[in-house]
Amino acid sequence: MTGLAGVAQDQENRPYFGDRLVQSLEYLRFKARSHNAIFACETVSRVVSEQHKYRLYIEMFPEQWKQSRKSLYKAGHFKAYSERTNEFYQLVNDRCFPLLEYWHDDPDLELERFAIPPMNFDLCCEEVDFAGLRDSYLAGLLFYFAEDDEIWSFFSEKYGVEKKELPPIKASPHAKVWREKQNAETKPYSDLIRLVDHSTGNPWLDVTHCQYPELFEWNKETVNWLTESYNAANQSFRNLENLDERIEEDAQKFLYQLISFWNTGKIDP
Amino acid sequence: MPINDLPAEILRAEPERINPAIILADRLMRRDAEELLTVEEVAEAENVLAIGTHEIDAIESHHKAFLKTPASAIDYIPVGF
Repeated sequence: MTGLAGVAQDQENRPYFGDRLVQSLEYLRFKARSHNAIFACETVSRVVSEQHKYRLYIEMFPEQWKQSRKSLYKAGHFKAYSERTNEFYQLVNDRCFPLLEYWHDDPDLELERFAIPPMNFDLCCEEVDFAGLRDSYLAGLLFYFAEDDEIWSFFSEKYGVEKKELPPIKASPHAKVWREKQNAETKPYSDLIRLVDHSTGNPWLDVTHCQYPELFEWNKETVNWLTESYNAANQSFRNLENLDERIEEDAQKFLYQLISFWNTGKIDP
Repeated sequence: MPINDLPAEILRAEPERINPAIILADRLMRRDAEELLTVEEVAEAENVLAIGTHEIDAIESHHKAFLKTPASAIDYIPVGF
């Protein structure tokens, strides 16, 4: 038995040895082409990019980095990156926000910058499917599909509220609807209209499937900001539960106040 | 044609030697990945990348220019003709 075989069979050292082996193969692959300037530029670029991800991994998940046995050299699921970088992507996906879905399902993809999937309902698609939406969200959609009888029929059948019993909806909202500062009474309505209008300032809620995705850079500030805004986006949808309860209590009053706020920027008594 | 005007001589007179990205790539591949690059090293790498890429572009544009150069008749008969 050679010494190397002994090391390779050592349970404790096997991953370490295996990684060293992959590192050596990587080095030999490099040496075979090391005098090609184009390949050298690609190598420098790849090493710097990977190192940037490692630094971010250590900063954001120091404990996981210490315990990780994932290879720093062997390619992972996203082939352009090591298993360790792939582990970092997975951690971001599991602990911060959804990263590895929708846009990023191709293993050949380079993730030097990344996009986020839209969480909100698209108004720009040709065919709008209202099924599955919360009642409060549907109420917000009344302003954008005022002539669409489908939503009015829904409120009529479920809550007995008729369009003719409510004030006519103006074509555009009152300027006060968009004011940042709202009182406790108007804020839920303002938040709902902003949500439906995709004007929340939250990237998860404002982007749509129909637009070219915004690409984000890999740095701690951006990842933290996207994590916070993802949590805020989820909170926005949870807030709809309260509005749904109010609709169930008195749909006529809710729709009257919502339309009144849209038309005048305040809630008429 | 004076010897110094030969295309190969002009090329040889160019200041670049080995593309600096080749040297840096070799250096990076000799170190362990756990050993993280410092901010200065990353800045240096980005600078070298810019120089290396510029050199590749320059060489490729020279190459294209050579290929586009029209053929011209020589003013002597080569030996054997």
